[in-house]
Amino acid sequence: MKTSMRIARRLAALVALGAGVACGGDRADRPQGDSARAAGAGATADDRITIAVIAKSSTNPVFLAARTGAEAAARDLSQKHGITVEIAWLTPPQEDAQVQAQRIQQAVNDGADAILISCSDAGKVTGAIDDAVGRGVEVMTFDSDAPRSRRFAYYGVDDLKTGQATMAELARIMGGQGKVAILAGNQNAPNLQRRVQGVREEAARHPGIQILGTFNHVETPQDAAAEVTRVNNAYPDIGGWAMIGGWPLFTQTLLTDLDPARIKVVAVDALPAQLAYVERGITPVLLAQPVYQWGYVGVETIVDKVHFKRDVPAVIPMELVRVTRDNLGEWARQLRTWGFTDVPEAYLRM
Amino acid sequence: MRRIVRRLVDSQEAGLVLVVVLVTVLLTLLAGSHVDRRTGEMVNNFWNSHTLIQTATDASFFAIMAIGATVVIISGGIDLSVGSIYALAGVSMALALRAAGPMDDGATALLALGVGVGVGLLCGLLNGVLVVGLRVHSFIITLGTMWILRGIAFVATKAESILVPTSLTQIAKASLGLGGGLYPVPMLAMLVVTVIGTIYLTRTVMGRHIFAFGGNLEASRFAGLPLSRIQIGVFAVSGLTAGLAAFLGASFYGSTSSGDAQGYELYVIASAVVGGASLLGGKGSAIGAMLGAVLIILIRQSIRTLHFDQNYEWIVIGCAIIVAVVVDQWSTRLTARRLSRAAAATRAA
Repeated sequence: MKTSMRIARRLAALVALGAGVACGGDRADRPQGDSARAAGAGATADDRITIAVIAKSSTNPVFLAARTGAEAAARDLSQKHGITVEIAWLTPPQEDAQVQAQRIQQAVNDGADAILISCSDAGKVTGAIDDAVGRGVEVMTFDSDAPRSRRFAYYGVDDLKTGQATMAELARIMGGQGKVAILAGNQNAPNLQRRVQGVREEAARHPGIQILGTFNHVETPQDAAAEVTRVNNAYPDIGGWAMIGGWPLFTQTLLTDLDPARIKVVAVDALPAQLAYVERGITPVLLAQPVYQWGYVGVETIVDKVHFKRDVPAVIPMELVRVTRDNLGEWARQLRTWGFTDVPEAYLRM
Repeated sequence: MRRIVRRLVDSQEAGLVLVVVLVTVLLTLLAGSHVDRRTGEMVNNFWNSHTLIQTATDASFFAIMAIGATVVIISGGIDLSVGSIYALAGVSMALALRAAGPMDDGATALLALGVGVGVGLLCGLLNGVLVVGLRVHSFIITLGTMWILRGIAFVATKAESILVPTSLTQIAKASLGLGGGLYPVPMLAMLVVTVIGTIYLTRTVMGRHIFAFGGNLEASRFAGLPLSRIQIGVFAVSGLTAGLAAFLGASFYGSTSSGDAQGYELYVIASAVVGGASLLGGKGSAIGAMLGAVLIILIRQSIRTLHFDQNYEWIVIGCAIIVAVVVDQWSTRLTARRLSRAAAATRAA
């Protein structure tokens, strides 16, 4: 009786597993679209490329945009070249470099042909990247690099220049005077650390600008918005925010909590949820990374390298796009073209 | 021989072994296959040496910490600070190595292990002393130290991610003759800690005292057991295993930061509970903790291997934990009812 009860307990856990697996029965992370399947029909093993995409976290909208780009590139390239390009989305639900390293290993074990990764912590994933390359799997980085690894290419902005540009815009808007806080996300992310460095270097060129501090937070919109509110309350004389990522602007809360007459904001990224901040003048300038291109250009480059055996540059620079009220409509329409369905209609008509 | 087999079948862990085997068989059958890049042969997506060792490696860090957590849970307590102890032990080790400068490989490994395990042990002792000295429930104390210890790690490193010497990574990622891309050291460490944990709990006086303490505190008090020493000791063991896991993790992955192991306490406690440890105290085993960790990682792996939507991972793991605990409580109540009926029948007779 005792043994059978114990076995029943364990089998119940197995049933829960089965139920959960049934719940997750849509194979959402496997090849996308009829076009990919149609193009792949009759394809041989040589004509099939599986690319594992491992971003920092699947709760950050910028990486979901990258996923959209990657899947679009997979569809387009599959149709164009008569091959099957598959995207396997292996991004952890929350940032954890150790989990990223494990996902790299899993991708290799699952037979992926290449990996496209944005590194939460270069030190932790470099070993796993090198192991993957050693086992014949090409690795490309985007957004946050692992420069000492054996990755074959990196696509992203120059983070130092991004930080400098953010501060330069903010200093111009503030007239070169005032107290500035830096919103900096995950303190361990090397790309964000370089952006912070860029902000501070640029701030040093403006004697009237005083940096109050660098404020880190969990990279979710809610936590970021809460941090902004906390700092604003703690520093009533704050004059500006240099946001090296757009996290808090993915919420609506700061539309009412930030007084544009008192606090100026310049932020990196310009996804649909952030456009209202430009329209209302709360963020006169957004420095947009075309995050959709992380995925699209990343997959294109990998296909060039892995399938067509072409030489590709080791560093592919991404240019920032300056989004203001003047080009808000144009940018909104570009986002819609890239597949973002949540772009407010009013901006599309501008 | 028959007696040994009978003991194995009747053991607490037999059912868990069966479930792990069943899940493994299911995964193997459903996993599909791919062409191995090096040999050109078809390889099962799950049943291959790389995936099996990678799964065991992923489980090893949780399993080692879960064994320590099980010791605390057997005593009737809980330790929420294991993730933070892991982070602090890891960064302490890295900072000590940086301060010591270049050394030979043996000295590097000894210093790293000593600092990692030592810091873990100290943190565990702190937890134990606070629980005993302040007479506050371990849930509250370790909730507080969870924040404090991670905060210390954050301040000490200024949020920097610190690389560890490559000699440590070479040790942790030694292939031991298995060939390219296979790293069995964490798995072997997990097995060794499991054996030591089993011997400690079942063959030592302290182990017996822990079960007695967790099973019946009043009886233990009347029996004259050293209650304070037992309670401090269990947290010391938990901290020690967290420190050991940190040494292994930092060495394997090559770097450490104050952000490491965030949320791991939930996986660790889940492993202990799925492995048969009762949150009421008095029940649990090192082997169960290890198997619990392996099962949870297998569940996670199955979502990946079968290419299901990974967003369901937390839902599935949560369901499995609740089901395992509910059925465990149900079986405990049934056993108690059966025993009282048997006792009543004996009295009537």
